[in-house]
Amino acid sequence: MAQLPAQTLHRDPQLFYWILIPITVVMVLTGVLRHYASVLMTTTPKKADIKAIREQRALAHGASLRTNYHVLSRKAFETRRDFLIEGFESGAYLKAPNQKGQPPANPMSDPNAMEGMMGMMKNNMAMMIPNTLIMSWINAFFSGYAIMKLPFPITIKFKSMLQAGVLTKDMDPRWMSSISWYFLCIFGLQFVYVFLLGSDNAASQIAQQMQQQQMPVGPMAPGQDPHKMFKAEAENLAVIEHYSVLDGIEERLLERIKV
Amino acid sequence: MSEQELQINPIVQDSVAHNTKTLTNLHSLTASLFGVGAGILGLESYYGFLFYIAFSITTSLLFYILQIAPSSLGEGRTVLDSGRYYRGALELWTSGIFNGLPGFILTWTLFYGLVRA
Amino acid sequence: MAWLSRPLTVIGLVILAHGCYSAHEHTVLSSTSVQHPTSPSATSLPLDIYIETIAATLLICLGLVLGSGTPEPIQWHTWAGKIEREGDSTSGDADKELRSNPFNALEARSGFINISKLRSDFVKYQQLGK
Repeated sequence: MAQLPAQTLHRDPQLFYWILIPITVVMVLTGVLRHYASVLMTTTPKKADIKAIREQRALAHGASLRTNYHVLSRKAFETRRDFLIEGFESGAYLKAPNQKGQPPANPMSDPNAMEGMMGMMKNNMAMMIPNTLIMSWINAFFSGYAIMKLPFPITIKFKSMLQAGVLTKDMDPRWMSSISWYFLCIFGLQFVYVFLLGSDNAASQIAQQMQQQQMPVGPMAPGQDPHKMFKAEAENLAVIEHYSVLDGIEERLLERIKV
Repeated sequence: MSEQELQINPIVQDSVAHNTKTLTNLHSLTASLFGVGAGILGLESYYGFLFYIAFSITTSLLFYILQIAPSSLGEGRTVLDSGRYYRGALELWTSGIFNGLPGFILTWTLFYGLVRA
Repeated sequence: MAWLSRPLTVIGLVILAHGCYSAHEHTVLSSTSVQHPTSPSATSLPLDIYIETIAATLLICLGLVLGSGTPEPIQWHTWAGKIEREGDSTSGDADKELRSNPFNALEARSGFINISKLRSDFVKYQQLGK
């Protein structure tokens, strides 16, 4: 098969000044704006009711005893365990000990849960609105022509994405339109934000999405019966087989300082 | 029993996060510069990616020589052992390649387009 | 060594910019000249631009690596030994929180305040003022 000659297009160099640079600048500025918006919008955690805090802390206490039991001596561990299990099972730490068996309230009606959801909504909004705006801006002004060529070959399937609105059947899929430059900017501008804003910025959407995926569920997931959680925690504590890191410390120490 | 080992020799989570962040920032900055280089040279397809991989391994090597080796060798570790600062050897040598790839492609495309206009 | 980082990076960036300009000029020239009627991508760059670009990239890379922060030991006993030996007197860094001794709070508990030492310090301070 004969080698196809490389397609060349003669493009106006003005394309760079009037398309690439505006899009890039807008993307960078949006990232910076998003960073500062998220700094401004972080709400200080609301003061919670003392009973609610006690409920959460008691559960966290149980969990930390469960994960750190190995630094306690056997006696200390057993004392703490018995105390916590008794408190958990009798419901001494509950926010409202009277409604022990009742089903949990609807999270929608609980103002505290609403607060958390609003925070998440705000984050999502801060991500969605600029994206939609910029994309429609690019589609309105800069669609319908190819501006640059990717330096690596890709399959024909990408043609519809990269050359949206170009409508030339035989053109090499490596040519891309302004909307694909926008996508490249979304993924690749991380280094600019690192350079401009320091390392732990909130500008990059990719990083934010990753963060949201790994966000641990808080100790008090809404909509769960706290009494049941206490029961489960007590059970977890009861089954721990205790050992201490200090078991056999003499041998290990001698091993380490042996000449 | 590895869990017990971990409890006997605990790991400082803050340090792990700090080290990972240092390395990620370094790689995302350098990767964009490699993109500039590849774009100027007009590399295409495989050569561009090979250029990127070679240079980012070089970066890791430089990072090892300049920042890790002095204290790590002083501790009596073997050459190219990054156990003092990173949990797995892979974390130091390859994680940067994937972190920097989007930035690399961005600047590569940009400079390829600029130079070959 | 960290002071070298910035000059190295700047020099590298200047050389890289020069290489970029040369490559651009070269492609523009060769695409317009009559001797090269072929497409511009068929002509290859002269060797010195290659060398210049690669050297500049390596130089910037070196500068950035020098400027990146030093890693911290991850094993607790190594790390604790380091901060005990070097003290936590690292002046106002951004990552001071990481470097400072986490057990400082225990050392400074109010139950362990050495009142008579504080008092003698205060007396000395007073005498200094006079």
